[in-house]
Amino acid sequence: MKKMKFLLSSLTIAALCTTAMPSHAKDKKLAVVSSFSIIGDLAKAVGGDRIELRTLVGPNSDAHVYEPRPADALALARADVILVNGLLFEGFMDRLIEASESKAPITVLTDGAEILNDPKGGHYHYVDGKAIFHATPNDPHAWQSVGNAKVYVGNIAKAFCAADKDGCPIYEKNAAAYDEKLTGLAAEIKTAIDALPKERRVAVVAHNAFRYFERDYGVTFLAPQGVSTESEASAADVASLIREIREKKAAAVFSENISDARLVKQIASEAGLELGGALYSDALSPPEGPAASYLDMMRYNVKTLVEAIDRD
Amino acid sequence: MKHLTLGVSALALAASLIGSAAFAHDDEENVTLYRVFVGDHKAGKVTAFDLSKPENRWTFETKGQNKLYSVNEGAAIVSVQSDDDVVNFINSGISLHAHGDHSDIEISDPKAVEKPLTGPRPFHVIDHDGKIVVNFDKGGYNDIVDAHELSHGEIETTRLKQARAHHGFAAPVGNGWVTTVASDAPVEGGAAPTRVGLQAVKADGTPAGDVATCTGIHGEAFSGAFLAAGCKEGILTVTKSLEGPVTKLLPYPADLPKDQTTGTLLGAKSMQVFLGNYGAKGLVVVDPVDEPNFRYIELPFRRIDFALDPANARFGYVLTEDGSLHQIDVLDGTLSKSAKVTEPYSMDGHWNDPRPRIAMAGDDVVMTDPNAGLVRRISKTDLKEVGTIKVEGKPYNLAVAGGSGKVHEHGEEHDHDGHDHAHSQGDPKIYAGYFEDGQVKDRPLSDYAGDWQSVYPYLKDGTLDPVWEHKAEKGTASVDDIRKEYEVGYKTDVDRITIEDGVVTFYKNGKPSKASYAYDGKEILTYKKGNRGVRFIFKKADGDATAPQFIQFSDHGIAPNKAGHYHLYWGNDRAALLNEVTNWPTYYPSSMKAKQIVSEMKAH
Repeated sequence: MKKMKFLLSSLTIAALCTTAMPSHAKDKKLAVVSSFSIIGDLAKAVGGDRIELRTLVGPNSDAHVYEPRPADALALARADVILVNGLLFEGFMDRLIEASESKAPITVLTDGAEILNDPKGGHYHYVDGKAIFHATPNDPHAWQSVGNAKVYVGNIAKAFCAADKDGCPIYEKNAAAYDEKLTGLAAEIKTAIDALPKERRVAVVAHNAFRYFERDYGVTFLAPQGVSTESEASAADVASLIREIREKKAAAVFSENISDARLVKQIASEAGLELGGALYSDALSPPEGPAASYLDMMRYNVKTLVEAIDRD
Repeated sequence: MKHLTLGVSALALAASLIGSAAFAHDDEENVTLYRVFVGDHKAGKVTAFDLSKPENRWTFETKGQNKLYSVNEGAAIVSVQSDDDVVNFINSGISLHAHGDHSDIEISDPKAVEKPLTGPRPFHVIDHDGKIVVNFDKGGYNDIVDAHELSHGEIETTRLKQARAHHGFAAPVGNGWVTTVASDAPVEGGAAPTRVGLQAVKADGTPAGDVATCTGIHGEAFSGAFLAAGCKEGILTVTKSLEGPVTKLLPYPADLPKDQTTGTLLGAKSMQVFLGNYGAKGLVVVDPVDEPNFRYIELPFRRIDFALDPANARFGYVLTEDGSLHQIDVLDGTLSKSAKVTEPYSMDGHWNDPRPRIAMAGDDVVMTDPNAGLVRRISKTDLKEVGTIKVEGKPYNLAVAGGSGKVHEHGEEHDHDGHDHAHSQGDPKIYAGYFEDGQVKDRPLSDYAGDWQSVYPYLKDGTLDPVWEHKAEKGTASVDDIRKEYEVGYKTDVDRITIEDGVVTFYKNGKPSKASYAYDGKEILTYKKGNRGVRFIFKKADGDATAPQFIQFSDHGIAPNKAGHYHLYWGNDRAALLNEVTNWPTYYPSSMKAKQIVSEMKAH
C-alpha cells in the first residue's frame, strides 16, 4: 500500500507543479521522454515538431532487459512529460525515475486500454538462449491491438495538452488524424487475416507477445512457455509445445526482432516447420528497416504472417 | 488506477519496518529486515544482528580476521580470511525472490555453512550470474562456488586455473570467463608478480583470447551490461558477445589529476554506472557508454571507504578521514551533503589498520566505528545518526543482507501448480510450499495405498466447471483460462491406479500394467514463485515392461501421512520428470463421487 501512496503523491505534486507554472514557453519545445520505440513513434505522431523526443529503449531492443544509463536519468530529470507503457513492461523505469528526481508527470499509456489478464501470471524472454521470467499479472503487450493503440494516442494527447495548453489544439488535431489512420490499419489487418483459411491461423513465437493480436484478429499464437509459471522453458515445455504444434497444426514458426532465434529455430526443426521470418513484437526496426513506425510494424507483421501461412 | 502498478518504489518499500525476524501473521505483510554482519579487526569472529532489533544477535567463530561480502542477493555472507587461508560461508537467513511488482522475503536464523574453502591466500570475491568466485592469490586459481547449491548449504566448486599466482580475479562474462594475468618476469623473494592485463578464458582457465593490456589491474565491479576494472592506463570495460568477452579501454582523460589511478570500483544496481576511487583524495563516476566517461569528484580529505545505494542509483556515500560522511550525487558528479559522523581516523599507516567501513541498509548508512566499539546507523537522507549498536571488540569489516518483501502465510495465489489442497489437516504454510529442508521426511509407498481415479474425465464432461468458476471468483484469471490450464494439468489416459503392498497397477484406457516399486528418495523443487514442493520418488523393482521406471508423487505433504489425493508424474527418466510442471495427472479415491470431489476442490 505504501507504494501506491508514494506514486500517488508524486503524481499529485507533479500535477501541481505543471498547473502552478506558466504555460509552456513558446520558443521551447515540450521535452518528452518515451520509454521505448513504439511509444516514441506514437508520441511523434501526436507531438509533431512541437516536442523534443527522447526514446530510452531504441529499435530492436528489449525493454524487459534494458540497462538504463545516467544519460537516461538526466533526460528524465529535464522532461516535461514521461510516457510509459505500464503493466510492469519497463522494469527499469520506476527506479530510474526515482534516481532522476524528475518532477514530470508519468503518463501510463495502457490506462483505459482493454487489458488482457495473463493467466500464466508472467511470460518469458529469451536472452542468449536463456529464459528470463517476468512475472506480471497483466499482459503488457497491449499495443499489438490497434484498438489499444488508439487509447495510447488519446492518452498521449491528453498528457501533451496538460503540459502545453497552447499546443493542445494541434495535439488534438494530430491525434484525430492519426486515429483515422489506425482505423484504416485495423480494417486492413482484419481483411488480410480473414482471407486466411481458419484452420491455418496458428503460429509459433518465442515469447507470447501477441495475445492481443490473437484476441482482436483471430490468429492463435503458441509459445514455448508452459501453462505453469514454475519453471523456465524446460525440455518438457518444449516437448509439450511440439505436441501442441502438431495437435493444432501450426502453420509457421516466427522469430522476433528483439531476441535471437536459436530457440525458435530448434522448435521449428523439431516440429518439421519452416521459419516464417521475424515478427516485430516489442520494438520497431531502425529507420532503414521494414518496421520503423507503428503503422509499418503492424503491416509488416501481417504481411509476414500471411506470406508464411499462405506459402503452401 | 493502472498507473499505480508501475512498479516497486524503493523509497516507499523502505518505509515499513517491523521489529523482529518473526514471521508476519497477516495474509501478506510487507516486511523489511536488514541483518548486519560485522567482522572483528583482530579476533576470528563475525557478529550478526538484526538492524531494527539488535538483541536478535548471533556470533560465528572463524579462524582469522574477516573481510565480508554479501552475495547472492544477500542470501549468503562470504567471510574471507586471507591471512589464514580460509573462506567461510554463512547463510544469512534472509532470502528475497523478486516477482516483478513485488518481492517475497523468507526469514530464518543465520547459519554457518559447515564446509569451508581452503587454499593459499584467498582474497577477491566476485558474485555474478549465480557464481561466487574466489581468487587464491598464492594458489594461482579461482574456486567457483555455485550460488544455488550454497543456498541449500552445499559448497560445490569448480576450478579456474591461472598461468601464475597473483593478486587478481576471475569473472564470468556471458558464456565465457575472464581472468587477470600476471607478468611472467621473475620476482625477488616473496614479492608478488605485477599484473599486466585481462584475458578471456574458458571455465577451467584455458586461454580463449588475447591479453588486453591493463597494467596493475585491480578493483573489479559489474553494472548493467559491463564489467569494469581499474588500471594504470584507464578503466578497462568488458561486455559479452556471442564470440566471447569484448574489452575496451577507457583512458583517463587529460583533465583528471595526473599520475593517479582507480583501484577500487563499485557498480550501481539500477543504472549502468560505476563509482571508483581516484587517488587518495578523489572519486570518479564512470559511465561506460556515454561521454563524458569520467567525472572527477574531489574530496576535502583522504577517503576511508565508499558505498553506492542499491535502492537509489543517484546516490553514493563516502567517509573521509576527518570523520565526515558525504552524500555523492552520482548524476551530477558532486558531493551533495556532508556531516560529521565520527572521530577522525587518519589514513596514515597500514591499509589494514582499524578504520570505519560503511555499507547500505535500506534508509540507513551503517558504519563500523572500531575505536568506539559501535556500529552507527546514519540516516541516508540527512546524514544524522539515528542509533548505535554496541559490538564487542573492534568492529571492522561489515556486510548487510536483507531488504523488503511480502511474507506469505498462506500462498493461495502462488499456487500455480494448480494444486487443489484437498487436505483435512496440516500446516497451511507447508501446503503453500514454505518449509525448511529439515521438515522434509522420507515417505513409504503405503502413504498412497488405495484405489484411485483420475479426475480428467470429470474435467472433460464439465463436472468440474463449478470449480473453475469458484477459482475465477477468487483470483484474477478467467474461467476459460483456468480450465485450459487444468486441461493440460490433468490430462492423462491412465484413468485408474491401484496401489497395494508395494505394487502399483496402471489402467491405461482400461488396460492394466503393473509393477512393484521401491523408494528412491525425495527431491525438493523450488518453484519460480519461491515456494517449494517435494516429489517422493519410487523406482520400478520388477514387473511389466510397459510400467514406468519411475513414479513421482506430489501431494503437498512433506512427511509421512496418508494422501487424500495426489499428483503423479511417471516416466523412464528420473531427472527429466522433475522438470515436468505442466502436466500433473491427479487422482482422488475411487470411492469418492464426482460431487464430493467438486466440493473438496472448492473447499481448498
